[in-house]
Amino acid sequence: MNDFTPAVVSVDPITVEVIGSALSSIVEEMGEALIRASYSTNIKERRDCSTALFDLAGNTLCQAEHIPMHLGSFLDLIPHIMKRHPVEQMRPGDVFCGNDAYEGGGTHLPDIVLAEPVFVDGEMTAWAVNLAHHADFADRGHAHIYQEGLRIPPIRLYRAGELQTDVQELILLNCQVPRERLSDLRAQMAANRLGVQRFQGLCAKYGRDVVLAAGSALQDYAERKMRAGIAAIPDGVYRFADRYDCPEIDGEIDMSAEITVRGDTMHLHFEAPPQMRAGLNMTMTALLSTVYYAVKAIVDPTILPNAGLARPLSVTAPEGTIVNCVHPAAVNGRLGPCQRVVDLIHGALAEAVPDRVTAASNGACFSITFVGHQPSDNRIWVYLETIGGGFGARAERDGLDGVHVHMTNTSNLPVEALELEYPLTLMRYELVDGSGGAGRHRGGMGIRRVYRADHDCRVRIDGARLLSRPWGLFGGEPGGQADIRLHGGAVAFNHGGGGLRPGEMIEVVTGGSGGYGPPGERDRDAVRRDVAEGSIERETAGRIYGV
Amino acid sequence: MAWRVGVDSGGTFTDVCLFDDATGRVEVWKVASTPSDPSGGIAQGVAEGVALVGAVPGQVGYFGHGTTVATNALIQHRGVKTGLITTDGFRDLLEIGRQKRPDLYDQQVEKPPVLVTRDLRLEVAERLRHDGSVETPLDEAAFRAAVRKLVAAGAQSIAVCFLYGFIRTEHEETAARILREECPEVFSCVSHQVAPEFREYERMSTTVVNAYLGPVMQRYIRRLAERLSELGVTATPHLTQSNGGVISFEQAARLPVRTVLSGPSTGVVGAQEIGRLAGFPDLITFDMGGTSTDVALLEAGHCRLTSEAMVHGYPIKAPMLDIHTVGAGGGSIAFIDSGGLLKVGPRSAGADPGPVCYARGNTEATVTDANIVLGTLNPAFLLGGRMAVRHDLALAAIDRLAAPLGMDRMATAQGVISVVTANMARAIRVISVQRGYDPRDYTLVAFGGAGPLHAARLARELEIGRILVPRNPGILCAMGLLLTDLRADFAVTRLNTLGAAALPDLVSAFDDLAVQADHWFAHEAIARESRRITRTVDMRYAGQNYELPIRMPDGPIGPATLDTLAQGFAEAHERMYGFNAEHEPVQLVTFRVEASGVVPKATFQPQADAGPDASGAVIGSRDVFMPEAGGFVSCKVYDRDRLCAGNRIAGPAIVEQMDATTVVLPDMVARVEPYLNLVLEAA
Repeated sequence: MNDFTPAVVSVDPITVEVIGSALSSIVEEMGEALIRASYSTNIKERRDCSTALFDLAGNTLCQAEHIPMHLGSFLDLIPHIMKRHPVEQMRPGDVFCGNDAYEGGGTHLPDIVLAEPVFVDGEMTAWAVNLAHHADFADRGHAHIYQEGLRIPPIRLYRAGELQTDVQELILLNCQVPRERLSDLRAQMAANRLGVQRFQGLCAKYGRDVVLAAGSALQDYAERKMRAGIAAIPDGVYRFADRYDCPEIDGEIDMSAEITVRGDTMHLHFEAPPQMRAGLNMTMTALLSTVYYAVKAIVDPTILPNAGLARPLSVTAPEGTIVNCVHPAAVNGRLGPCQRVVDLIHGALAEAVPDRVTAASNGACFSITFVGHQPSDNRIWVYLETIGGGFGARAERDGLDGVHVHMTNTSNLPVEALELEYPLTLMRYELVDGSGGAGRHRGGMGIRRVYRADHDCRVRIDGARLLSRPWGLFGGEPGGQADIRLHGGAVAFNHGGGGLRPGEMIEVVTGGSGGYGPPGERDRDAVRRDVAEGSIERETAGRIYGV
Repeated sequence: MAWRVGVDSGGTFTDVCLFDDATGRVEVWKVASTPSDPSGGIAQGVAEGVALVGAVPGQVGYFGHGTTVATNALIQHRGVKTGLITTDGFRDLLEIGRQKRPDLYDQQVEKPPVLVTRDLRLEVAERLRHDGSVETPLDEAAFRAAVRKLVAAGAQSIAVCFLYGFIRTEHEETAARILREECPEVFSCVSHQVAPEFREYERMSTTVVNAYLGPVMQRYIRRLAERLSELGVTATPHLTQSNGGVISFEQAARLPVRTVLSGPSTGVVGAQEIGRLAGFPDLITFDMGGTSTDVALLEAGHCRLTSEAMVHGYPIKAPMLDIHTVGAGGGSIAFIDSGGLLKVGPRSAGADPGPVCYARGNTEATVTDANIVLGTLNPAFLLGGRMAVRHDLALAAIDRLAAPLGMDRMATAQGVISVVTANMARAIRVISVQRGYDPRDYTLVAFGGAGPLHAARLARELEIGRILVPRNPGILCAMGLLLTDLRADFAVTRLNTLGAAALPDLVSAFDDLAVQADHWFAHEAIARESRRITRTVDMRYAGQNYELPIRMPDGPIGPATLDTLAQGFAEAHERMYGFNAEHEPVQLVTFRVEASGVVPKATFQPQADAGPDASGAVIGSRDVFMPEAGGFVSCKVYDRDRLCAGNRIAGPAIVEQMDATTVVLPDMVARVEPYLNLVLEAA
């Protein structure tokens, strides 16, 4: 597939390192520009976006470290563009826009990607790409992807620098908050423009061939580090199984992993039930980005996030299942099962590398979306946020309390910004006492957030671990279970969806995480501190820890 | 006759800079720091320094001080046991923060410790709304009970932060009153007096850091003031804040959170003044020490002020010079990682054991060792001959890196320099290109022990055409203290849409701030003619959440002011983001007043031109490896102390002085300007 092999130039390891620094600088600058110029709370405060540079074959040269899940939305993008658009027709200033999970390499529709080819001395050389999660397409069904929002294959939003107004208008008419979308698209444009200029500057300095050769050497470098890391793991076949639940479905489903480590390669196979008429299905790209994240974090977190790290890995899952869905499965809430896949990988590798894995984290990505009409001018408002929870206890340390785990890492919106922009009031925002699984090292605590509606609004809540608890490791106990409660007379929700009237409240409790090692081995002072701080009850200290 | 004294107290050395107002004489004195009680070293340094110039402490007319006391207490978590009282439902906000985990991939990293343990974070019933209305009044009895509980638990300091406490201050004012009634001996602060701006977590964090450091700073300042007065220094002592201005000791003790960047900010101020004298107002400062490098950008002689930054893991909302720090210094360790690439830092061998060539037990090559091998640093002695170094050990250390890289010794040593230069270039890109400034338009001011050594290559990397090396690069911070104005910043957040309807708020906000500024001027006894006011408004498009600071025109506020602001915002937005959203409403968010009291400062006298011939300063020559010259090249070595104004040095050359070594690359020429600073430019 690689028709774009650059002229073979040998580049010494020091030039590679120096150009690697420059590439990181470029994607960071792109990210800063995107965040600071954007309008929607989801990007400007929650930083739910990513930026990257790709070579012409679609390999990641460098990605800004924002959100691992977005690796997936980039993985297959360039090949999809190339499939639809002949290279010889591409011009400087062309900007491709897309979001589709089946025709655009994306993982769910709100993640809109803008990609711009970089021309150096008249020759197409690389791609500047960024993704922003547009908090739109809200209050939808999730039986199949056609209910989930507008599907955009990779098409030109700009042609040789000129805005394709028709295309933009079509997109905006399908959005509930068009003003925000337009502004965020502008911010995305600004970010890519920067990326293009900077990459051209880099080529002017070192020469196009040297930069591309360094880019390819950086991928080899990531591959070598990944291989070195895998080689240090004992050969063997490692298995783990877990159950998954979410408000959209009744009951639980089985998910499992089988990981084969042989020499410096790793094969990962996953099993799950057939895809469902619910927004929890993962495309293969979503599965791949999940695996890349989890293996990199366990094997060697310093491996550069570029395409080279994937070479020693192979990933399989039966087609048409929740972990490898096909058209037209709905995919909006794919992040929840992705989080669970990470836990599966940790569970499986616990036996092989006990000091590198963690007990189960909260195993979910709780998201809550509110949709309503602004009391002032009746315009539609959409507010989406995600809520973190416990991060699993580690071999030498307690888990982290109240953080975003694994595939996501967005910032929360300040209360003082939330209430200013939307007719909502946040009543409580706190850690959940007792939710950290007991163990030699205690699991992290979940989060409680209580929202009050000040005007009528529709609400949709997604999450997991409502029916099970995040498991502990090596004698550690499971962490606290998640919960969703309504207060103030609110009518019960149906599969995570419902409405709130003024004064009614929804309380979201996210899962804690599992403990690591037998509770009896926990440091006595740590137990006493947990009691003093109210993180565990005195009774628990006596019964479980014997303190 | 009066001496102006600046004291920069660092981890290893306390630098004292003395300046004679009458004659312009400058003297520098260095003593070992006394980390357990820095005031000891400072008093000793001042006593010895004053004696050195044949003066008595009573002749000190001005005392300026930069300190790392607050920074160190924060880094080492040596603040006091602190309590927090906040709105019901939000005591864990301090711990949850923005929910982000400390590292995206590394699962073993810990969050920075929360400065208030959970048992000392108490909630009381009260709730304000974003429009300033009261949803739940403050339960004063509950607040009083909470204070008593914290005091009983041994809290030595108490922070109060309520949601929207900055919009309607009554609840926090009541809280402050109750705290004064209940425990006047306990340090306390309320959020709207520390950081009256929106975003509750950052405001709470700032208030807590302030409370945590308060008693430490108070004790330190009290002890130092006592020692100075015992010594016979009668001048009012002043301390640098993170914004580069100085304040009285009394103010610093009340708002220690504003001094966390006290140290690096004095270097920036020193560079600013030296740049101004030399005629280069657009500067990028490059302060490279043993373990880290601080960089900042000055446009038209002013460093960009930021209102919020992450300091040692804690978000702080306070006016700070926009200084960016990277873990790259002379002691940074070079190593080969598992993928076979050469990496440098952030691990550092520090001053002890230090680089391999110090022969104090470290065997891992550092940047300094690479410089010894290359010959850029004197391979026999450092610190003006005071310290012998082991060339052979440095060679062996570099060879250990060269073998696995498959490169020769010299290419490897040069590679260490290239990699560390790339790291520093990246830091400079953060404060320049990421903020919309082109580094090529700026002069690089190189100081700190290692700055002048690496400046030429760094400038080449960034295509910067001019480098300025101050006369005393190692003590620029202490000197900066003699060049600093008194300064305080005042701010208030009041959301408005840019338009005629905003005028009353604009006028009243700045009137209020002017009253605060006047109060401060009076308190600092600053004469009316020495008072300066700069007004800015943080602006954004309605819907954005990051603002751009726009300078207000001087003079009365009227409709024309709005036009100026609109135009200023459009230009700033275009520069920063490359576009403008015409017809979109623009918001005025935070109004700021920077008040400065111009104090008489050290003034330097230009020296007479002694002609271009620098041969009188040549003290020898040595072979230095410079890939620019194709390998080893014989370089003349100049003694900085013997260089005279007007002298010119053609590269390649080395200029040595006690506290620094300057590298002049081939195709560069260095000239000594009238204030004895070196200016390096393309030949």
